[in-house]
Amino acid sequence: MVIDVYNPAYLAYDFGPGHPFSPIRLEMLLDLLDALGHPFHPMSPQPASREDLLTVHSEEYVSAVEAASSSGTAADPDRFGLGTPDNPIFPGMDLAGRFVVGGTLEGAHLLYYDKATTVLQLGGGMHHAQRNRASGFCIYNDLAVAIRYLLDHGSTVAYLDIDVHHGDGVQAIFYDDPSVLTISLHESGEYLFPGTGEVHELGAMYGRGRKLNLPLAPFTEPDSYLKAFTAVVPQALAWFRPDFLVVQAGADAHAADPLADLLLTTQTYETLFKRILEYGEKYCRGKVLFTLGGGYDVRSVPRVWALLYLTVHDLPVPTDLPPEWRQRWQEKLGTDLPAAMHDPETGGPAVPLREEIAAHNRRVTERLLDSLMPYWYLGV
Amino acid sequence: MLVRDIMKSPVITVDTDASLSSVYSVMHDHGIRHVPVMRRGVLVGVVTDRDLRLATSALAAKPFSPQAKVEKVMSQPVRTADPLDPVEEAARTMRQLKIGCLPVTSGGALAGIVTGVDLLDALLRLTGVSTGSSRLEVGLPDHPGELARLTGLLAARQVDIRSVLSHADSPGRVRVVLRVATIDTKAIAQELRAEGFEVLWPPQKPW
Repeated sequence: MVIDVYNPAYLAYDFGPGHPFSPIRLEMLLDLLDALGHPFHPMSPQPASREDLLTVHSEEYVSAVEAASSSGTAADPDRFGLGTPDNPIFPGMDLAGRFVVGGTLEGAHLLYYDKATTVLQLGGGMHHAQRNRASGFCIYNDLAVAIRYLLDHGSTVAYLDIDVHHGDGVQAIFYDDPSVLTISLHESGEYLFPGTGEVHELGAMYGRGRKLNLPLAPFTEPDSYLKAFTAVVPQALAWFRPDFLVVQAGADAHAADPLADLLLTTQTYETLFKRILEYGEKYCRGKVLFTLGGGYDVRSVPRVWALLYLTVHDLPVPTDLPPEWRQRWQEKLGTDLPAAMHDPETGGPAVPLREEIAAHNRRVTERLLDSLMPYWYLGV
Repeated sequence: MLVRDIMKSPVITVDTDASLSSVYSVMHDHGIRHVPVMRRGVLVGVVTDRDLRLATSALAAKPFSPQAKVEKVMSQPVRTADPLDPVEEAARTMRQLKIGCLPVTSGGALAGIVTGVDLLDALLRLTGVSTGSSRLEVGLPDHPGELARLTGLLAARQVDIRSVLSHADSPGRVRVVLRVATIDTKAIAQELRAEGFEVLWPPQKPW
């Protein structure tokens, strides 16, 4: 049984005009699902409580967000990352953030109490938010709150992050926790935000060997990405055997994304979603909670997440996008939108250094697996 | 960054009349390769694990016995650093003399020691990432005021700079690598290009 989670209050998570993290992306997605003729009856979550937030955030940070949210300003932007160009303050940001957390937490409830096997939270994925700091468009860390809830109920959780940016907030919050396995595939921090996510970040204390990072080279192509993914993810899940799998399904590893440099296609994403469901079935009774995440190109993001929806619900993928949807959004955005659900099959652009990039990613994969062996199989 | 910021202290030392085998034990027990040698509290030499191995090797013309005194095999005189020396000065000295450590003295007393590994740690600190940031790399003409023009534009956008590294990569051009505290460097790059800057990273997508 698949349950969707969504609340129109998510649309209030809005940093204002010109900001890449625009609620328009979500509106386009919902409108697309509607135009595709799929009745959408989501569970409508309540906002998370202050106590829920305090399971992963510090009291002083939550108070700072509340104060900024009502006053519209922050005294010292550098202190908590609030009021920076990435995370401008907007009235009501506390409540908007809590609604997003509430949705992901609701997903955890539904899985834990067996109301659902798979949950699709159509929002959230705020993986950069730190215990004490807003970062990279993320205010409250919905993923960490949901994971903490499952841990507090005696479960183990695997967290898989396919956003193009490193899932640093989730990794940091559970860095020494042996009950959480994190796996992040991302463009290398040497180039891209937030800068962390190196292979050597393996976790601390009893959490060591349970924090996995695949920092991929800029301009990584689908084949190379899928090879790295397939070499690491199923093996890690087979070893860890989580009770639950939480997936941050950012769409910004797509080639058209304006913030990053990986070259995935809609076809790659469909393959990834299918494999994730397959692994979930195999290693954790199908108990998978998907959230959205980054993704800033309006021409590709609604298609990637529509593919997520269709795959999770085991629905057929249409060849073409509904013309009336395309028409409507072309007029609203004043930009041309693709007519087909998938990217053209003609293949991507000719990438210079293609072989070197693939070789680099193979080395990164080998280095990660080599570093893990002592912790996984030798009981160090 | 100064020598005092990266040096190790207190320093493990041996006396001039210590035997080679006892110095070997000191190195082994503490996991170190460089040991300053003292006579009545004054620094007079440095002995390294390599000095010991060469001195006692069966391949040596006249191998020293394990009971020989360390003063017979130590290096002297000792080149030292001052706590207030910049780390690059220490690095240059070590490279020029092909040595692996510099004892640090202050007012005649031994205050610390810097090794090549400490310099690697310094490199990691200089280039490291503590809070979220992205790479921004710009080629600047080697003229006064160019870096100021660049940082001025970043300041106007309220973008915080976490670190700056630069080196001359060809005559007349300086390559500057900044870590900036924003996730959206492409927007900045676009603005910098419009202002005539040569932005080397992030790249413009050719498609």
